Amino acid sequence: MGYEALDFYEVDSLLSDEERMVRDMVRDWVDEEVIPNIENACREGVFPDEWRVALGEMGVLGAPLKGYDCPGLSYTAYGVICRELERGDSGLRSFASVQGSLAMYPIWDFGSEEQKNYYLPKMASGEWIGCFGLTEPDYGSNPGDMITKAEDVGDHYILNGAKMWITNGTISDLAVVWAKLDGVIRGFIVEKNDPGFSAPEMKGKHSLKASVTSELVFQDCKIPKNRLLPGVKGLRGPFSCLNNARFGISWGAVGAAQACFYSAKDYAMSRIQFDHPIASYQLVQNKLSWMLREITKAQLLAYHLGQKKDSGDWIPEHISLAKMNNVDIALEIARVARDIHGANGILDEYPVMRHMANLESVKTYEGTHDIHNLILGRHITGIQSFTREI
Amino acid sequence: MNIAVLLKQVPDTTAKITVSNGKVDENSVSKWSMSPYDEYALESGLQMKEATGGILIAIACGPERNKKMLTDAAAVGVDTLIHISADGNFDSTQVQNFLAAAIKNNGVNVVLCGKQAADTNSGSTGPGVAEILDAACVTMVSEVSFVENKFISVRPSISGTEKVSTNGMSVFTFDKGVSELRRPNVRGIMMAKKKVIETIKPEELGLKEEDSERIILQAQNSPPEKEPGQIFEGVGEIPTIISKLRNEANVI
Repeated sequence: MGYEALDFYEVDSLLSDEERMVRDMVRDWVDEEVIPNIENACREGVFPDEWRVALGEMGVLGAPLKGYDCPGLSYTAYGVICRELERGDSGLRSFASVQGSLAMYPIWDFGSEEQKNYYLPKMASGEWIGCFGLTEPDYGSNPGDMITKAEDVGDHYILNGAKMWITNGTISDLAVVWAKLDGVIRGFIVEKNDPGFSAPEMKGKHSLKASVTSELVFQDCKIPKNRLLPGVKGLRGPFSCLNNARFGISWGAVGAAQACFYSAKDYAMSRIQFDHPIASYQLVQNKLSWMLREITKAQLLAYHLGQKKDSGDWIPEHISLAKMNNVDIALEIARVARDIHGANGILDEYPVMRHMANLESVKTYEGTHDIHNLILGRHITGIQSFTREI
Repeated sequence: MNIAVLLKQVPDTTAKITVSNGKVDENSVSKWSMSPYDEYALESGLQMKEATGGILIAIACGPERNKKMLTDAAAVGVDTLIHISADGNFDSTQVQNFLAAAIKNNGVNVVLCGKQAADTNSGSTGPGVAEILDAACVTMVSEVSFVENKFISVRPSISGTEKVSTNGMSVFTFDKGVSELRRPNVRGIMMAKKKVIETIKPEELGLKEEDSERIILQAQNSPPEKEPGQIFEGVGEIPTIISKLRNEANVI
């Protein structure tokens, strides 16, 4: 039997025909090309290059961006794409999030006409991979205090500093790097062969194993003047990228949760203990019905947020709520699904433990679970609680 | 060159089929898909269109839901979509008449279709349409190309494969082809959305639905339930198992 995504309230019936066709295209691809190969990719710790090519050919990279050979889909369609990719693996969705929302988006929104024309078509086709350098070894939730800096030395800039936890870093052709120029955060496009730039891979992850994670190191890295993103100053630049990526994650987490539910239900129906399928026992039914309840709520949050993104009637706090909630329930669903699978749940024959380990990263990156709570806390009370200086 | 591909929408091979009152309950089919052999015909049509600079016309006959399949075909590159809106029971001859009439109306030079549909398995559409059109017909092909004003097709033969060339109006029915149907992409999907589906009623083709219904489906049945497996316990049963594997299952 083919994969049937849990959609208890038929939320997908609210999608447009075009969004449904995009969903089916990505879902079929994940079934045919990703699911059969994902465990091997995880074991080897590689992001298969065929996936880059296929994402480019399908034309889903930078989904909601218009012009410059970008797809020009709705934000809801972008969400659907993220959901279907993450049903395969969070690492695969991470690749698409970083390429589209974190690397293409800032060039599209803040780049010069020349930068847009040069980079965006190559990135939409998947020919060039991009990454996003914001987080530093000592500055994660607090990026505003970053120490990476840029210096204007006349006919070029010199970058110094280091970024960490950078998805796609080592395999990237370009990095959108945020650094302080005269104390103000600015975006720079660094290309892989720029002198003084290196992107060593971080090894030993127990999570997102099919995704490349790297450091970006700048040692007197020399970049031409025309690589500064002219359109933005300050944290608004990186934060507007993160808003889009977090939006995609709120949908993606639903896909991972659906995959775990699908596997848990299937397993519970066929696993016999005490002469009956374990699905016939009340404790297991309680777990499955809880999963259905949380997935349905998460789908509705994601869908409504998609509509708000498409109408332009949204605030970043809306995205914080959906990212935080949906990743939280997806992780818990993955854990409960692993439990239903018993000992079998730890094997890579089933996807649940992989999703569980992946979602630990997803809970932390793109604004940790707790930081999103603080963003909402500030929204409710008007009092920021990130620092002691109130 | 105008290339026509005939597409049939069938229950997806993964969909559960239920039979009630001696008939397949179509409403219970959760997913409808393009018949798999038609997919090979469609891919071949796309390649022929690219090689010849021709126009690819997809024709489907059936209820409203066929429009989705036609839009999916447009997403991979079909130029013209024709839906013969025929909601009801038709025998193969009627459907062949509908399809042939649409083919004639569109100045088609070559027709591609699957060797049989995944639901009815009749295998009569291609040869039947060819008969009505007085066209050459080559069945069970794996590939077709247009070279120096001839259609060259490859089909299985006693020696392995054989190449067949045909002149003029030709109909090819596809077995498993050499290339799988390509995946759509976002650009194709966005173009497909704008594509108009030309809907024709059988009477507009000069045909009546009630004409010539000569083959009547009497009853459909579910396949017989599988016999339950046999369980053998204990070392003493080994000779029995070996004997059954050797003499009944013929696997050792």
